[in-house]
Amino acid sequence: MTTQPQSSPVSGAGENSPGEQPQAKASAGGAGQGKRAMAGRPQASGSLWWLSLLSVTGFLVFWYAIVRFEIISQALLASPEQVLATFISKLTNRAPDGATLGANFRTSLKLCLTGYISAVCVGVPLGLVMGWFRKVDEIVKPLFEMIRPIPPIAWIPLAILWLGIGLPAKAFIIWLSAFVPSVINSYAGIKLTEPVLISVSRTFGATNWETFLKVGAPSALPMVFTGLRLSLSSAWMTLVAAELLAGSEGLGYMIQMGRTLARPDVIIVGMLTIGATGAAMGFVLEKFERRLTPWRRS
Amino acid sequence: MVALWQLVVGTGNFGKALPSPAAVARQFWLMLFEPIGRTSLYGHIWASLVRVLSAFGVAIITGIPLGLLMGWNKKFEAIVRPIFEMFRPIPPIAWIPLAILWFGIDETPKIFICFIGAFVPVVMNAYTGVRFTDPMLLDAARMLGGNPRQLFLEVAVPSALPAIFAGLQNGLSLGWMCVLAAEMVGAQEGIGYLILLGMDMSNPAMIITGMLLIGAIGAAIAVLLRYAEKRICPWKREISM
Repeated sequence: MTTQPQSSPVSGAGENSPGEQPQAKASAGGAGQGKRAMAGRPQASGSLWWLSLLSVTGFLVFWYAIVRFEIISQALLASPEQVLATFISKLTNRAPDGATLGANFRTSLKLCLTGYISAVCVGVPLGLVMGWFRKVDEIVKPLFEMIRPIPPIAWIPLAILWLGIGLPAKAFIIWLSAFVPSVINSYAGIKLTEPVLISVSRTFGATNWETFLKVGAPSALPMVFTGLRLSLSSAWMTLVAAELLAGSEGLGYMIQMGRTLARPDVIIVGMLTIGATGAAMGFVLEKFERRLTPWRRS
Repeated sequence: MVALWQLVVGTGNFGKALPSPAAVARQFWLMLFEPIGRTSLYGHIWASLVRVLSAFGVAIITGIPLGLLMGWNKKFEAIVRPIFEMFRPIPPIAWIPLAILWFGIDETPKIFICFIGAFVPVVMNAYTGVRFTDPMLLDAARMLGGNPRQLFLEVAVPSALPAIFAGLQNGLSLGWMCVLAAEMVGAQEGIGYLILLGMDMSNPAMIITGMLLIGAIGAAIAVLLRYAEKRICPWKREISM
C-alpha cells in the first residue's frame, strides 16, 4: 500500500524551483501518522477486506456483463475472459504485431532500464554536487532550468529527426525523462541537510569534501529515493509514448497495433502488462530503498 | 548558454539538424503571422489549452470529492480503492490506443487522455491529504462538540488543501504532457501536432520553437496555479516550513 503522497512540490514535472522546501519530508514520518489519523476518523474500524473483494468482483461482473450483453460493442471492448485468453495465447503467439508478449516485454524493459540507469548514474551525482557546491550550481542551474519545463515527450520529434527511429532516439528520450526528477530531488535533498550536522562535522575537522560524502550525501538519501521512484515512473510512461510514436516492437507498439487492427483484447492485455510491470518495478525499488535507508522506518 | 548554442552551431558540422538560435527566432517570428496547417500559431496553442483545461476541470470536479471521500470514509475506501489501484499504475499514455478506438480521433479522446493524466494525482493527493489530518485537531474539534459533518468540512478538508493543491500542480503538468502525446498520435491542430509537423517537414527550427513554447506555457500555468493557491489557502506557507 502506497501512502506516499505525490505532493512533494519537487516531484515529477512540477514547475517549482528546487530551492523550495519540499513537502515530501512530511511523508517520511507519514506512515505512522497516517495510522493515527485513520483511528481518529469517526467510522468504526474493523476488517473491511470483504467489501474490497465484493467491489472487485462486482467490477469484473459489470465488465463481463456490458460486453456479454453488447451494451458496449465487442469491437470496442473485450470481456475479461477474452482478455485472459488473449493473454495466454499471446505468450506463444506472434500475431498480430510480430512478437510474443514476452519478447515485447523484454524489449521494453531493456530499453527502459537502459535509459533509466544511465540517467540515474548521471543525474543523482549531478544533483548532489549542484546542491553542495555553489559554483557548480551557478554554472549548471540556468542550463538545467531551461530544459526542465519541457516535457520529455516534446523531445520525441527532435530526437527522431536527430537519431532516427531506432533505439538511440528512444533511449535518449527515456534518459531525459528520468534525468530531470533524479537531479531535482537529489538537489533538494542535499540542500535540506541539517545545518547542525554540517557544523559538527566541520568542528571535528572534516574537509568540505568529506562532509559532502559522509554527511550531505547520506542525509539526502530519502529524497534521492523519492527522485528515483519518480524517475522510474516517468521513464516507464515516456517509454510507452516513444514506442507508440516510433516503434517496431515493444509493448507500446503492441497496443498501437491493437488499435490499428481494432483488437481491444490486445490493447487491454498490453495496458495491463504495462501497468503491472510499472507497479512491480516500483515495488522492487521500494524494497531496495528499505534496505538502504533502514533508519527511515523509525 | 545561448552563446554556447550559437558557437556549437557555428563551428560544428551539424548541417540542418541543429538550427542556430537566430534561425529559431526567425522561425518564431514567421510563425506569429503565417498560418501553419489549418490554423495560426495562436489557434494551435488555444486548441491545446482548451483540451487540457476542460480535462483538468472535469478531473477537479470528480477527483477531489472522490479522493476526499476515500480518505474519510473507510467503507467507501474499501470499495473504491481496489478498483482505483487497478487502474493507477497504467500510464495515461497507454490509454491512447483504447481512447482512439472508443472515441475516434476528434476532441473526446484527447480530453479523455488528459483527464486520466490529471485525475490520478488529484485523487491521490486529496486522499492522502485527508488521511494525514492531524488527529489532535480532529480530537479537539470533537471535544468542542463538532459532529462528523463539521469535522469533515471544517477540519479535514481545510487541512488537506495544501496537499490537494500539490496534486493539482502535478495533475496539470501531467495533463499538459498528455495532451502533447495525444496530439502527436493523431490530431490536426494543437501544439503537439505542431512539433510533429516540424518533424515531418524536417524543420528543426519549428520543433525547437514549439518545444520552447510548450515549456513556457507549462511554466506559466504552474505559476498561475501557485498564485491561486496563495490566495485560497494563505496558511500553507507555514505548514510547508
